[in-house]
Amino acid sequence: MMLAFVGGTHRTVPLALRERLAFSAEQATEALARFRERFPGREGVLLSTCNRVEFYAAGEQAADPPPTDELVSFLADCRGIDAQLLRPVLTGDRDEAVVRHLFGVAAGLDSMVLGEPQIVAQVKQAWSLAQESRTAGPLTGEMFQAALRTAKRVATETAIGRERLSIPSVAVADFASGVFERFDDKRVLLIGAGKMAAETLRYLRQAGARDVVVVNRTAGRAGELADRLGGRAGRMEDLTAELAAADLVVSTTGATEPVVSAAAYARVEPLRAGRPLVVLDLAVPRDFDPAIGQRPGVWLYSVDDLGAACEANRRSRHRELPAALAIVDEETRRFMGDMHHRSTAPVIERLRAGWTETGDAELERLFRRLPQLDDASRAEIRQAFDRYAAKLLHSPLASLRSASRAGPPHGLLDALKRLFDLKD
Amino acid sequence: MVEFVSGISVVCFAASYAVAFACEASRLVFRSGVRGATMVAFAAAGLVAHTLFLGWRATHEAAVPLSSAFDWYLLAAWVLAGGSLWRTIANPRTPVGLFMLPIVLGLIGAAELSSRVPFPQSPATQIWGAVHGSFNLASCVAVAIAAIAGLMWLIQAGRLARKQSPLGGLRLPSLERLEHTTGRVPAFAAGLAAAGFLSGIVLNAVNRQRGLLETVPWNDPVVLRMAAVVAWLLAAAVATRATSRRADGPRTAAWLALASLAVLTGSILWGLFGATRHGVPPVAPAPRHEAAPHEAAP
Repeated sequence: MMLAFVGGTHRTVPLALRERLAFSAEQATEALARFRERFPGREGVLLSTCNRVEFYAAGEQAADPPPTDELVSFLADCRGIDAQLLRPVLTGDRDEAVVRHLFGVAAGLDSMVLGEPQIVAQVKQAWSLAQESRTAGPLTGEMFQAALRTAKRVATETAIGRERLSIPSVAVADFASGVFERFDDKRVLLIGAGKMAAETLRYLRQAGARDVVVVNRTAGRAGELADRLGGRAGRMEDLTAELAAADLVVSTTGATEPVVSAAAYARVEPLRAGRPLVVLDLAVPRDFDPAIGQRPGVWLYSVDDLGAACEANRRSRHRELPAALAIVDEETRRFMGDMHHRSTAPVIERLRAGWTETGDAELERLFRRLPQLDDASRAEIRQAFDRYAAKLLHSPLASLRSASRAGPPHGLLDALKRLFDLKD
Repeated sequence: MVEFVSGISVVCFAASYAVAFACEASRLVFRSGVRGATMVAFAAAGLVAHTLFLGWRATHEAAVPLSSAFDWYLLAAWVLAGGSLWRTIANPRTPVGLFMLPIVLGLIGAAELSSRVPFPQSPATQIWGAVHGSFNLASCVAVAIAAIAGLMWLIQAGRLARKQSPLGGLRLPSLERLEHTTGRVPAFAAGLAAAGFLSGIVLNAVNRQRGLLETVPWNDPVVLRMAAVVAWLLAAAVATRATSRRADGPRTAAWLALASLAVLTGSILWGLFGATRHGVPPVAPAPRHEAAPHEAAP
């Protein structure tokens, strides 16, 4: 059994080259068809995402996977790039390192954003495409299934992908959702047209928000934004009334002074009848006077507050890294043990066949000498022979299985071949 | 099977709940892929043992639920344990057991300290006794639920005020959802407690009217403390309602719910360690002193 891999990521391949190397779904299908023609009998899976292009190859016995250099040339040919450009930036590995790498990739441990979950779906897609293109096989099949299992374990047994890292997602999922149970009956007020407003609104919409009002200093711009974001345009002059009616405010103006001062909010407060208000002040300088956050029922978050929470989440993910790597390590050892044991199968098969053949011949001779034996007695004797052979085989097979966990048991296999005269 | 069921003791299900609670508490310390299943398994095993225990007492020991202080506490614990398990299965990421199981264990502890002797009953007062016990039990459960929601509200609000992301193992319901509980349940709790108290008064009055022996003096500590609890719960419900439209209303409601649990706990402890005629079997009238035949002999 041999596994090979060649690839590059955002860390090793410059963006300009990565853009040229990236494969669309059609290009990947075409590349896999070329692989099948160029390397018959080998298995291949192509994983191409925004941040990585990797090719996994596998083969058994006579059909070893192509060497790294050939795989680099293959990728270069597929994308029409000079292979000399790729050689310094693509890396290659063999066998156990390939397995460890793929398991880490599937678990998001090699991603630009540590623990990001999208990569699992991309790994699944790559495997499905290889199956459709008939370049997948038993080795890559087991390796990719094990990789997806590892990713699942890392996701459930560690918190590496759980904490959110972008300001809009943290604002909605960690803070606004901590105050409100549902958003479909809440009024969302967007003040200004900052970059993060649309992104935050996307998360709010996913959470169920429907009633959106957009206010801006320029009425025309507010209308434009409201049309684009699917809300209603309001007037800046009505800000007090809009604030009184709102449940959640996302503020992203470019104003140099606070848009809502503490005194202005004091006029709004009595109109709210005690309803809680979440304010996501994503503007710099801030649109809401920080003193408003001290009022009961007001949950005010500035971009710095949310940034600090993102940073804490990022640190939290990194704290989970050792536990995630331990899972990858454990799964890699288990997979390699299984693969090494699998490589002993032909020798075991020949050993078993040899013993069965000898046993059968001896039994035939015995039965010829004892013609008085009835069928039941013969069956009993045959079973006794089988049990005896199985018991004799048990110890060498257990030793092989045990040795497989540490690596390919070449020494034991050679010894068995020589001791029992097993021909390849 | 009968031998197995008869062998179930309070320790069996209390230990199961304690292990389930330990699993729940370990969420705060480390992450595990099997903890959820282990926790549910232990809580479910405890609930099954708890149910069988109550069933056995009802069928083999003539101790109908609510018929003694011991059974009353165990039934209240059973209701809360069932609710805790249901919420855990419905929302595996919310550590409900962390808040509910200590109350369950506390009620089991109170049961162990209580008398197993059935309350004195006569056919005339049996229904009033059941009504009295049921209302008090429902009120106790409602107070516990409101207090748990109140505690969760304070923790969640504290996190939001500190601007921290949720702890991995401590994802609590939203403030809106918790306010729904802390805002409404205290009124139910007060109503149920008042109904329990009034039905107790009726029960006692019927006993007195019929000249039955199992009456409780009107100045008995249990009457006084139950009156105090009812008064507190009514006041808390009114205060919760009155502040519901104020911005700091939810915080007030959360503290009042916790205070109600503290008042109820104090009342229970008073009941456990104080002197009372409540639930005490009637003292049979002293037999007239007549000489036994053999004593009559000169």
